[in-house]
Amino acid sequence: MIQAQSLTKRYGSKTAVDAVDFTVQPGKVTGLLGPNGAGKSTTMRMIVGLDQPSAGSVTVNGKHYREHAAPLREVGVLLDAKAVHTGRSARNHLLAMAATHGIPSTRVDEVIELTGLGSVSRKRVGGFSLGMGQRLGIAAALLGDPAVLILDEPVNGLDPEGVQWVRRLMRHLAAEGRTVLLSSHLMSEMALTADHLIMLGRGRVIADAPVADIIGGAGSNTVRVRSPQATRLATLLAQPDVTVTAGEQDTLDVTGISAVEIGEQAAEAGIVLHELTSIGASLEDAYMALTQNEVEYRTGGSAELQEAAR
Amino acid sequence: MTTTTLSTTPEAAPAATPTGAGKDAAVIRLSAAGLIRSEWIKLRSVRSTVWSYALLVAFSLGLAAIMSASLDLRGADVSMVPAANQATFVAQASTFGVFFGQLIVAVLGVLTISGEYSTGMIRSTLAAVPNRLPALWAKAAVLFVTTFLVGLVSTVGSYLVSSAVLSGKGLHAGLFEPAVLFPVLGGALYLGLIAVFALGIGTIVRSGAGGIAVVLGIVLLVPIVLQMIPAAWATSLLPYLVSNAGINMFGLMSFSQVPIEWWVDLLVVLGWLAASLVGAAVLLKRRDA
Repeated sequence: MIQAQSLTKRYGSKTAVDAVDFTVQPGKVTGLLGPNGAGKSTTMRMIVGLDQPSAGSVTVNGKHYREHAAPLREVGVLLDAKAVHTGRSARNHLLAMAATHGIPSTRVDEVIELTGLGSVSRKRVGGFSLGMGQRLGIAAALLGDPAVLILDEPVNGLDPEGVQWVRRLMRHLAAEGRTVLLSSHLMSEMALTADHLIMLGRGRVIADAPVADIIGGAGSNTVRVRSPQATRLATLLAQPDVTVTAGEQDTLDVTGISAVEIGEQAAEAGIVLHELTSIGASLEDAYMALTQNEVEYRTGGSAELQEAAR
Repeated sequence: MTTTTLSTTPEAAPAATPTGAGKDAAVIRLSAAGLIRSEWIKLRSVRSTVWSYALLVAFSLGLAAIMSASLDLRGADVSMVPAANQATFVAQASTFGVFFGQLIVAVLGVLTISGEYSTGMIRSTLAAVPNRLPALWAKAAVLFVTTFLVGLVSTVGSYLVSSAVLSGKGLHAGLFEPAVLFPVLGGALYLGLIAVFALGIGTIVRSGAGGIAVVLGIVLLVPIVLQMIPAAWATSLLPYLVSNAGINMFGLMSFSQVPIEWWVDLLVVLGWLAASLVGAAVLLKRRDA
């Protein structure tokens, strides 16, 4: 279990993490989601004591990380794939990490097998692809058979097979009763892997709830209708609590009324429908809705881009 | 609050389960011996270490051979040279390589830590040792012992080379004569200490190029600059520079008008080392990694 209380990190006048409170429960996969610069990595680094909080505190299994007698048994951490000396072989890196805690070399070979690094474990890390670097980082995180796993963007650079492997591994570790915290800006990944989401925006928690609740909370389901008589249909559906947006070519996006009702009304009026689709809100919609005002580096408008292109 | 209990039964777990460490949970924890072992694995598993030590030995033996072979006695009767002077010359030939060797081990000392910063390895190191300072002490201990031992190989090896060449010219001195043994040990000791001094500087500066520049500046440049300043204060400072004190310590050269006891020189070197390590410790503890 990870507990943060008023956890704050300031760099000069900039506040990267702003009085954040959260609890990461064991037994499920918790996703830390947020746009770039939201404070995900900083939060993770503070959990394992790499960054000192400016205020507040964070504990792992009831103690500050540095107070544990065997930190690697408490927390396995993957902060970035490049936290490895490039001149050293993967196996030597893991052996050096394991030696600090007296973890036997059989365990090193075990995590090498587990992460599929067997054929490259004696090669120097400098020549590794991003995907192999990630696997090595995950191997290092698993070394101590830790109760808590913290992984910053673990699927970054992995091939589809690797992504599925990480997803299964995370779910499996959580099912064993471990605490699993992973960050990502890939919403689709989070929807598939996480049970619970902590959403960060500009250093604050903007949502902390089960994935299903967050998607549900994104509210209005949209119905997409396509009809050659789109204009007539739009007039027909017009009601105070119904929003009709005209899309491309005869397409309407309607909110505030169900697909069934639209179909029935159209039939009564004798309007031909070519398509009638109910579009459920995705995690992406929820994310966009929640982070709308939280994006630190917003893409410039097209006018600006054109200006810049000149 | 509940503490998570891990499944430690391997037979019950599917193939993808990390279980191996669980079996030995009782003995798995941070320890000084573990940190020493870890730093030893780190030191021996990068190529810069192997290269540096190989260069150190090769340079020392080569310089000892050159210095001994170039001694031209012009047919003088060396049997008249007092034994003490013979021993001094043999000792100087045996430790001449230390003068250059200090530059090699200083670079190695910086790289030992700057390599961790430049590659990001430092984050893995500090995540495993969140109290941080034990990792620095372990690194310093491993670097000192290894460099001292390789230094000893190179000074003793240099003695063997130069005494073989010099005995052909009639100069003799045994390894265990104090005038020889003391410089041979002192030279190796100094190499170990200067490597740790450089490790401290590297930790403070956190960059390979910067650290090497600072260390070589202190070891090589400052003594030359001070010697060029024609003032009494500059001259009186000379014996207290780390490289001058170190070289004075094993009798290769002297930088002081009045003879300085070897232990004073050793204290001067230790003082520089302590300043560098304390600075490193304070910053390592305080800075975000």
